[in-house]
Amino acid sequence: MKLRSFIGFVSPSVALMLALLALPLAMTVWLSTRNCALELELVTVQQTGPFGAHAVTTQRARVDAAGKAVQRCTSVGAAYYRDVLGLQPAGASGASGASGTPTAAANDDNEFFAALRFTLLYIAGTTPFVLVGGLALALAMNRVTQRLKGLFIAASLLPFIITPVVGALAIKWLFRDNGLVPHLLGHFGIQVFWMAQAWSAQLLVVLYGIWHVLPFAFIVFYAGLQGVPQDALEAATLDGASAWQKLRYVTLPHLAPLVVFVTLIHLMDAYRVFEPVVVLTQGAFTTSVQYLTYHVLLQEDNPYKASAAAVLTIAGIAVLLIPLLRKTWREQR
Amino acid sequence: MTARLQPQRRRLLLATAATAATAASTAWPVRASALACPEVAGTGAINLIGNSFQAIQHIARIAEGCSRPGLKVVFKLTPQARTETEQAFASAGPSPFDAAVVSMGVFSNLYSRRQLQSLTALVDKYRDRYRIEEKMLVRMDGEVMAIACIQNTQNLVYRADLFDKHRLAVPATYAELLHAAAVIKARESSVAFAVAQGFAKGFDSATEFTNLLAGLGGRTFRPGSALPAFNGREGVEAIGLMRQLLPYMTPNALASNADDVVNQFQQGKAAMGVLWASRASRMDDPAASRVVGRMQFAAAPAARPGGPPAAHLWWDGVVLPRNAPRQREATFHVLMEALSEAAVRSGNDLAIWVRSVYVPGRFGTGVALAQRAGAPVWPGEPFFSLAHGEVGKVLPEALTGERSPQAALDAAAAAYTRAATEKGYIGGRA
Repeated sequence: MKLRSFIGFVSPSVALMLALLALPLAMTVWLSTRNCALELELVTVQQTGPFGAHAVTTQRARVDAAGKAVQRCTSVGAAYYRDVLGLQPAGASGASGASGTPTAAANDDNEFFAALRFTLLYIAGTTPFVLVGGLALALAMNRVTQRLKGLFIAASLLPFIITPVVGALAIKWLFRDNGLVPHLLGHFGIQVFWMAQAWSAQLLVVLYGIWHVLPFAFIVFYAGLQGVPQDALEAATLDGASAWQKLRYVTLPHLAPLVVFVTLIHLMDAYRVFEPVVVLTQGAFTTSVQYLTYHVLLQEDNPYKASAAAVLTIAGIAVLLIPLLRKTWREQR
Repeated sequence: MTARLQPQRRRLLLATAATAATAASTAWPVRASALACPEVAGTGAINLIGNSFQAIQHIARIAEGCSRPGLKVVFKLTPQARTETEQAFASAGPSPFDAAVVSMGVFSNLYSRRQLQSLTALVDKYRDRYRIEEKMLVRMDGEVMAIACIQNTQNLVYRADLFDKHRLAVPATYAELLHAAAVIKARESSVAFAVAQGFAKGFDSATEFTNLLAGLGGRTFRPGSALPAFNGREGVEAIGLMRQLLPYMTPNALASNADDVVNQFQQGKAAMGVLWASRASRMDDPAASRVVGRMQFAAAPAARPGGPPAAHLWWDGVVLPRNAPRQREATFHVLMEALSEAAVRSGNDLAIWVRSVYVPGRFGTGVALAQRAGAPVWPGEPFFSLAHGEVGKVLPEALTGERSPQAALDAAAAAYTRAATEKGYIGGRA
């Protein structure tokens, strides 16, 4: 292919990737090194309303000649990265309202690493079950009669089709007080309060993750199974191979690239786990790196620090994917 | 071929009929609303936003009823209204929303950032037309910056039948509430939990803490500054009180938000608790509640004897952004129709309305009593939500004993100080 034709074919994709991936990423990195804050002044305002009149001492933005709030932006370098990683000097900490003495408790259990810990636990807890469960379901479906396949496949895909927030809400309602699961377990004298302890809350989030993603692995493996060479399987049968041996030496090698693919996609998805954390437990006992970014962005209302948390999240995904990407790179070469 | 096409034709006919029926059903409210909102004029769209609860849903229905040929009023109801409103009003370009219904906490933030436009001229012009009452007007140094429509507070919700059965007095203090809870737990097997309150990580538990802190005489900030004071003695006591409540609550309490608490009451699983007054009417919803008519409402208990109710008074009201895109007057007319006396009358029991035509019912008892007993107004400092957020983050650790209350509050104070410094509320890095 001529270079000109090659560029013609490739440039739309490259332009789109630059616009939708590279540019936002560069913007995020740039934002993470800055901070903008309104110039504020302390004012006492006479407020009247439904509860009467009272003076309110508050801070209000200074305005310019046009009446627009004045904002000051500065470069903060890597300060937000240090902040998110808990490397900030203790001098930034608050002071006890009781004694007025500085406290040192600020960074004793860094949020980022706590979030990273649970995120990695979630990945480790879901990935094997997603792979093994998805493969088992695909193998089972492969044996189902043709007439029932459509129905079973549709039913199996439901958890994956449902929007994550809706799925997490459904699971929450099943497991919360008065939910179906505690109600049924109660009939057998078993009482489990799923959101009461760290282990059960974390287990519930992991179970949700498996339930939600397993259909994806299943459908990919099922598609892969349709392409397993029948002559190789027949030859193995003639050679006296058992069902396990056929699976081990014919089917699984054929599916190996798909295993890498599913693992790659799931690792990226699992690292961004968010919906079950925010819906099921509202972050109690569970947190994730994505949840942390959400908290910084919405609770602290700080898009600059949230950008630093987002960049660190991306760096985490990149580190996690290095072995798989290296393997894929070698195979492609 | 003909036989194969016939079902397709049938489907096409059905689809056409369905479309015509839908068009007819949507056309009617438009015609009806043309009579209902005579002052509303203009073309295009008026976009409004507000939180998704019963009273705002009522307001939204009336506002959307003002749509007419060429002008569509769209009211976005979302639990994320606060975030979306703050982002829209902060936008450098025109706001995607022409107006918003906000709580007073959000109002403080928007006012502090100078993102609201004054409504004084509009109010003066149409005051008589819409019978706008002075108590509805939120004035800041005389300028009308919001129009309040509903009031809210956390009130005590209790099972009157169980209190009568065990001859318990309505608790006026948290000590009395704990006593009543102990009696219910020991003697009443029909309820699983004596107490139900929103202790979920984040907003719910931080609001409980704020109520108790104020009730105990504590302060969130040092006077006249944004420096934290919530990690003082009263803060530690507030957490201590919250911990005393835990044995009477579901073990899932740290993940129970207001919706979960309502569910516990509706299912007859809880006997008492402090909950939003705006949720009171849901106790009598026959479609969802097993305790219709059995719940009563009172002022939230005081945190200490002789103190005010450990709750805060809130209002919700309408505001217009400084960067309002267009149709200022038309938007105002739509809002005033949605907050009219007729609107209040038709939704009387859905909220505790500010307008005088509101007839207080049993669902508004708690608010009226709290107001009379001197419950404070929700903190209006723009940096309050930062402190609130940081406290809500550490409370589960303090409540489970993973951290001592003092250590948890100190960590929250440190995190808050950093966040407030970054935002420029405390002089520093920016």
